[in-house]
Amino acid sequence: MFGSFYLPPFVYMIAGALVLPLLPKKTRSTAFLIFPLMTLLVIWTSPFGEISSVSYAGYTLTLVSMDALSRIFGTIFALIAFIGGVYAFNVKETAQQSAALLYAGGAVGVVFAGDYFTLFIFWELMAVASAYLIWARRTKEAQQAGMRYILVHLFGGSLLLSGILLHLSSGGSLRIEQIAPNASLSSWLILLGVGLNAAIPPLHAWLSDAYPKATIAGAVFLSAFTTKTAVYVLIRLFAGWEILIFAGVIMTLYGVIYAVLANNIREILAYHIISQVGFMVTGVGIGTALALNGAVAHAFCHILYKALLFMGAGAVLQTTGISQLTNLGGFARYQKATLALYMIGAFSISGFPLFNGFISKSMIVSAAGYAHYDIIMLLLMLASVGTFLSIGLKLPYFTWFGEDRGIRPTKTPKAMLAAMGIASFFCILLGVAPSLLYAYLPYEATYSPYTIPHLLEALQIPAFTFVAFWMLRGKLAGSPTITIDTDWFYRKPAGVVRTVFVDWVSVFFDAAERKSLALAHFISELSKNPVRFFFHDDSASTLYSPGRYRQPITAIMLFVLFGFILFAVAAIFS
Amino acid sequence: MKKFWWFLFGCAALISLAVEMTQEAHHWWEKIPGFYVFFGFAGCVAIILISKALGKLLLQKKEDYYDVR
Repeated sequence: MFGSFYLPPFVYMIAGALVLPLLPKKTRSTAFLIFPLMTLLVIWTSPFGEISSVSYAGYTLTLVSMDALSRIFGTIFALIAFIGGVYAFNVKETAQQSAALLYAGGAVGVVFAGDYFTLFIFWELMAVASAYLIWARRTKEAQQAGMRYILVHLFGGSLLLSGILLHLSSGGSLRIEQIAPNASLSSWLILLGVGLNAAIPPLHAWLSDAYPKATIAGAVFLSAFTTKTAVYVLIRLFAGWEILIFAGVIMTLYGVIYAVLANNIREILAYHIISQVGFMVTGVGIGTALALNGAVAHAFCHILYKALLFMGAGAVLQTTGISQLTNLGGFARYQKATLALYMIGAFSISGFPLFNGFISKSMIVSAAGYAHYDIIMLLLMLASVGTFLSIGLKLPYFTWFGEDRGIRPTKTPKAMLAAMGIASFFCILLGVAPSLLYAYLPYEATYSPYTIPHLLEALQIPAFTFVAFWMLRGKLAGSPTITIDTDWFYRKPAGVVRTVFVDWVSVFFDAAERKSLALAHFISELSKNPVRFFFHDDSASTLYSPGRYRQPITAIMLFVLFGFILFAVAAIFS
Repeated sequence: MKKFWWFLFGCAALISLAVEMTQEAHHWWEKIPGFYVFFGFAGCVAIILISKALGKLLLQKKEDYYDVR
């Protein structure tokens, strides 16, 4: 497998994206599944260290640098690409599946990149491939949201690139290494570029804007890759930057508040990506071995249960065509399997014992406690309350229970249920046997989640969250509104910007065009019969007619001839 | 039937509080008896009320908000 035959893990995904359209139509969905499995195989048979490097323009680019941190991220990316492939089994549009593989290839490329240039190229590949998964929905709002999405990501990419270039020009190394806190302008630029992809407010609005408008299968892939590669890069570069603790805590609560207000089921889930990534960012900021392990473990678990939740919401959208809570309700008994699988994801994200969220989130919360960030720890627990409230109670209650609006969903496709089943299996497996995950975490720290105080805390808090929800559930019923977020700053002024830079400009050019056409017309009229303008001959035709002006010329010619004759006669007689 | 479930729920809560008494406190808030019960309930109420207030005052707009110019 090694030596001259070694191919970097991302090659399999990207090759898959290119090969897929060439295969016979019927085999494509099955073939899709092979590429993530091959990637997984390569990741787990590769040794640690820098495996693959090439020279380019005087630089040495390290295409694959494998260690415990990149391996665990690569593993979950390949695994979720597989599960997403199962979910997208019935998708007829191969371009979507190719884009998903390309996107996964970008994510795998980023986590194994050993240098900034390689990282940046895969970073941009992800942005472009993922945008297609939004556009492929083919609605007007998806088209517009996709355009905003790609523009914001290109902006983020340019922040990252300027950071990298500044870092290089000030003598920095091309290799990806830990950056000392508050180092320099270049590191702040890199942090902003990465933070945008991690959806740190106020740079987060692309996520909650675009994800709810993506295709049903596309949202599953979107929920997994972009934010978690950013978490990976944060761990690589910015572990122990204290500002990330505060940014992370703000994220956890920001997502919670917006999810309470959201009415679209996939928007609720999108805001809880921001909230959950907030936990990871907090862990990166704390920077102890336990906190970093917690961030890695939580990223791993989060990808599984969040994909599961998006698959459940996608199944609702697929079978009913509705995604607004105010229009859903009362069809639980027609969709028991989907509901049950969704609830496994909901219990996982809420950190219930025996589900995988419990074993990863509690690491970060405990790490905050051990590092004596008491207030931070309480705020993280408050965010957990909000998570259970929105994902575990509000969304399922108003989607499947609540008022019966006479919705009769079609059958959930088997492939979708199978994919949700696989994700559920891993959610429970890791919850029951956390050592399966802990054994592969990159940093040296021991942790046992199943202690009596933890269990008490993890049962009492949600139990009484439920009591409060039951009393106030009337207040929580959605309203047919949208919630403005920081995308307001580029969406609302868009009208004014349009007026000034498009409408006014086009008014100006219209006027200029009309004036110049009028001038050209005038000149062409003039050149048809220039004589007319010298003689003020109003009755004259616009066209030049030689005969009309012949008279005076013949008279002159006669005079001239007469003059010649006169001179001739005078010459004869002299 | 519904009352029965709430009765069971109450019993479970009391048992968990009794177990909690046997545990030593690791943080200052764990010295307050039944802190997590209160935290879960009050936290949920606070999140709902604060979010809804923010939504009413500032954040929630009609669905065609971005479409009208």
